[in-house]
Amino acid sequence: MAKAKRNNIEALVNHSVNWLDDSGPDADIAISSRIRLARNIANMPFPIAASEHDKTQVAAAVENAIEKSGSLGDDFFAYDIEQLSEIDRQILLERRLVSREFIASRGGEVLVVKNDESRGVMINEEDHLRLQVLSPGLQLEVVWKIINELDNQLSSSLPYSFDEQLGFLTSCPTNVGTGLRASVMLHLPALRLSGQINAAIQGISKLGLAVRGIFGEGSDNLGNLFQISNQSTMGETEEQIIFRLSKVIRQVINHEKNARASLMENKRYFLLDHIGRAYGTLRRAYILSSAEALESLSALRTGVDLGMFSSVDLRQVNELFKIIHSAHLQRFAGKELNQEERDIFRAKIVRDMLSGKNDE
Amino acid sequence: MICEICKKNPATIHIQEIVDNQKKSMHICAECAEKKSAPQLLFDGNFNLAEVLYNITEHMGLPGFELGASSKKNEETETQEQAKATCMKCGWTLSQLRKTGRLGCSQCYKSFRDVLDDAFDTMHRGKLHVGKKPGGKIDESSTVMLEIMNMKKELEELVQREEYEKAAVVRDKINALTKGEKKVTNSKQHKGIRKSGKSKKK
Ligand SMILES: [Zn+2]
Ligand SMILES: [Zn+2]
Repeated sequence: MAKAKRNNIEALVNHSVNWLDDSGPDADIAISSRIRLARNIANMPFPIAASEHDKTQVAAAVENAIEKSGSLGDDFFAYDIEQLSEIDRQILLERRLVSREFIASRGGEVLVVKNDESRGVMINEEDHLRLQVLSPGLQLEVVWKIINELDNQLSSSLPYSFDEQLGFLTSCPTNVGTGLRASVMLHLPALRLSGQINAAIQGISKLGLAVRGIFGEGSDNLGNLFQISNQSTMGETEEQIIFRLSKVIRQVINHEKNARASLMENKRYFLLDHIGRAYGTLRRAYILSSAEALESLSALRTGVDLGMFSSVDLRQVNELFKIIHSAHLQRFAGKELNQEERDIFRAKIVRDMLSGKNDE
Repeated sequence: MICEICKKNPATIHIQEIVDNQKKSMHICAECAEKKSAPQLLFDGNFNLAEVLYNITEHMGLPGFELGASSKKNEETETQEQAKATCMKCGWTLSQLRKTGRLGCSQCYKSFRDVLDDAFDTMHRGKLHVGKKPGGKIDESSTVMLEIMNMKKELEELVQREEYEKAAVVRDKINALTKGEKKVTNSKQHKGIRKSGKSKKK
């Protein structure tokens, strides 16, 4: 029975990340697909009302079930959040393995994750278990198959809290029923450049889906990244939820494709100039804020999608999106950096990576 | 989750702001987003996100709760209600539920049933789980039950509107389905960790 490597962030950082792959379906626009399942163990108070002792028991039982099932393969990691430094916690957050609430740590939180970060379980987050599976591109159906199996494997040795009428019982009533939250991260630069993004966001939200974006100091969305997910979790089967979400996302992807095509046709030099300038910034800047980096990388990604660059591929851009965040930068630098130092170091890393000096 | 601006509609637009290391988020409804022509206006000078955020964390009620019957009641009944409403199993109180939007244990779903029932309508598509069960079994009968529940709702509405002919048709359909329905059994008992004793620390 394989055992987890414990509290070793280095091991995680040195492995390649599955969802940063560029091989997924519609990978030019859909960056990643994720499904999360909320589960609790019967006859145990939810983490918010549980004692330290309860949470330790839960963590031990869940880790035991994961080991026994072999569902995370032979090589997987476990992290006791309380044992980690602030920067290491931040690393987990930047890699999208944990929630902000989880790393704030009220005690007893454990993350168990497969070496390629494609699947994992947060233990003692808001619920006893938060199963998570992440894949590149738009492929929610495949992700559902994987997480459904993981869930079945764990349930064979964990007694889940389940009600015949309400389904899986969760600490927050917004998750009750299937406990399922599916989300897709989309890169929508052309919808924004052509001024259609707000209408798109409003349209999506009217369909009962949630949209999240990353916004900066100014008025603009940073990096043109949007996450679309289901809102309700009860009254539909898992397949219905996923089908409905996928359908809307396919439409959004088509809108984005049309917007790209029409920009290329009608505003070709505006678009090329936008991308070329961003590339110039990334290649030559000596001070790069995270906001400017996100914006420029978004433009670079668009250029790669349009086939403008032979020396840069999507995987590299995805890697850059990850590494420009402050905890990763500091880890890379091997020391704590203040904001000014971070902006300088960020510029250096990006310059190096784009000139092929560094093969991280 | 309810809209932070109007505190009325369910929030369907979620905005996160990251400035270097700091992340803030806000949750608003489509209507308010349109009015404020979000996301642009949300971040201009008149709109202090930090302040808004402070306010929501203070009042972060349970999504949909304010929409339920509870908000219509006056202060007095609410206090009485709060005094009574405590989960016998875990000791969680209604005010804790309102403050955190979270429940303390599985039993809380029964303890706070009345409050939750109203909220479910705004949060979900029906009050019945029709998805998988532990271990992957899918029960056909729950789909039928959902259908029956929806039809009963329709029937009520038709009766209210005095459309008796249509109501009769729906009633017959419900009767037909009810006869064919497998009884959903509640027999499956789950053992807790404590009893099963497999929680030894390795
Ligand atoms: Zn509103
Ligand atoms: Zn309780």
